[in-house]
Amino acid sequence: MVTAIEIRSVTKTYQRGGESLRVLDELELTMDASTFYALMGPSGSGKTTLLNLVGGLDHADSGRVVVGGTDLGSLSGGELAQWRAENVGFVFQGFNLLPVLTARENVELPLLLAPLSKSQRRAQAERALELVGLKDRMGHKPRELSGGQEQRVAIARAIATDPKVILADEPTGDLDRTTADSVLDLLQRLNRELKKTILMVTHDPQAAGFADKVVHLDKGRLGRIDDNRAAAGRA
Amino acid sequence: MPWKLLWRNVLRHPIRAILTVGSVATAVFLLCILDASYRGLDAAVADASKTRLWVQSAVSLFVDLPEGYQPKIEAVPGVKDVVRFQWFGGIYQDPSNFFAQFGVDAAKWSANYPEIELVEGKLADWEAARTNCIIGRDLADRFGWRVGDHVPLIGAIFPRTDGGVWDFTIAGIYESRSVNIDQGTLYFHYEYLREGLEQGAVQGPRGVGVFLTCLHPGADASAAIAAIEQTYENGPQRVRATTEAEFQRQFITMLGSVPTLLAGIGSGVLFAIFFAVLNTVLMAARERTRDVGILKALGFTDGSIAGLLLSEAMLLCTAGGAVGAALALLSNRALWSFMSAFIPGFSIHTNVAMSGLALSVVIGALAGALPALRMRRLAPVTALRSEA
Repeated sequence: MVTAIEIRSVTKTYQRGGESLRVLDELELTMDASTFYALMGPSGSGKTTLLNLVGGLDHADSGRVVVGGTDLGSLSGGELAQWRAENVGFVFQGFNLLPVLTARENVELPLLLAPLSKSQRRAQAERALELVGLKDRMGHKPRELSGGQEQRVAIARAIATDPKVILADEPTGDLDRTTADSVLDLLQRLNRELKKTILMVTHDPQAAGFADKVVHLDKGRLGRIDDNRAAAGRA
Repeated sequence: MPWKLLWRNVLRHPIRAILTVGSVATAVFLLCILDASYRGLDAAVADASKTRLWVQSAVSLFVDLPEGYQPKIEAVPGVKDVVRFQWFGGIYQDPSNFFAQFGVDAAKWSANYPEIELVEGKLADWEAARTNCIIGRDLADRFGWRVGDHVPLIGAIFPRTDGGVWDFTIAGIYESRSVNIDQGTLYFHYEYLREGLEQGAVQGPRGVGVFLTCLHPGADASAAIAAIEQTYENGPQRVRATTEAEFQRQFITMLGSVPTLLAGIGSGVLFAIFFAVLNTVLMAARERTRDVGILKALGFTDGSIAGLLLSEAMLLCTAGGAVGAALALLSNRALWSFMSAFIPGFSIHTNVAMSGLALSVVIGALAGALPALRMRRLAPVTALRSEA
């Protein structure tokens, strides 16, 4: 199995109210490519911090974060931005679509950074929206969509540039059970059909059930890794 | 697409955008007017004659001199002509229709003001009857008056004892070849006023407001001024004599230091607009912090995001500047016909309007720079954590 993400002795500390808070503590973790991971743990265990480090949104205090063979600590701010544009797609709990743009324009946004013509960008955005089942709503602005539809648009935006890794931070946190399941089902399809490596932070054991593996963090260290596929195989 | 995003962000709060554009437009418009006023006043002084003297009461311009002063002033060496010049202050229908009217000695006045050209009617037509008058082109255009029309004026300083109005007949229309002389004034025969006062048909002060004293070419103006002032040094009423240029300068400085005043107002307007735009952009930046986080997460560079915000501020200000400059240029003619009565050389120059537009772009850049820099420095994680 090819390694997608390597976390080597990573430490991350935040200063809060004059106190030093060690969120990740010498964390060691290896994740395989084309695998759907759920990241679980109690609040403050470092899940979102780890996701931000893997996505190049934040820097580790020490240790190495290697994604797709690239050591993110060696990249400058501009290089990191370019790396994000080419290699990762983000899905957030609050959807985080730009309210002034339509669904298609939101999906087109990351494609602006790729060397594509206008028509190519439009075609690629429409394909991504078709994949998430929202081609008929591409002219709608976020406020005209339901929560589930907004999250689907966010997923379309995350896959528009065809990144190898998709990072999802509580993607179903704001959704009802039925809608959440359909979004999780979509993520699972992206993993199985398009071979995307997915790392999803969640508090919800049911959501974690859609992943291949569940990584449990505890106080900034690796607790254990559950293999849902193996468990399913045994059952 | 970045342009589309920029445009949509600008229109995110349409009322706020309109108010910002409106405030910048107002500022540029005002700056154009201030500049035109300053230049107009300056040009009026520069164009004023140095061979025409204004002889007035040393007490005030509003105190008349006895008519009997005229022969002694005429006798001063170097003096060619003395023209009586009296402010009339009549009202045409309503005080809001204000325009200046002066009683003058028509023939001598015309002979000594070569800057004025009668474009309709002739001097002889004006002289043909005491009730005749001439008016400036702008005044004619303002009220749609033509040669032969009657202008009824209510005497405010010089009311008629029978309660009636003064009736003037337009005998000619003049145009001015100098910014020193406006085209919004009515000139009539001083004798018409004097006769009315002598016959008791008119009430009001007797005397002459100003003796326009015209010198021979090459005459020593300083010597003439000294001689005229010396003549009445011991009364009965002391006089003050100045060249027309100096008179213009003094009239202007009656308001105080006009250039300083105008520069002060202009700077105040600029500062106020700068802070208004800065406030708008800061508000927009704060509202859009999460959007900035999203764009950074998607891979947009810090510079491109800062550029987007900076462009937004510049776009708003440029739009405001363009509207203000266009309004100023388009209303130049209308403003001139109104303002030239007070500031003869009033005119909004295209290059000043363009400077106003350029200034608005600079204000946009300065006001947008601070929030843009803040957004540039903001870490993606911090931006994403902010409330939408």
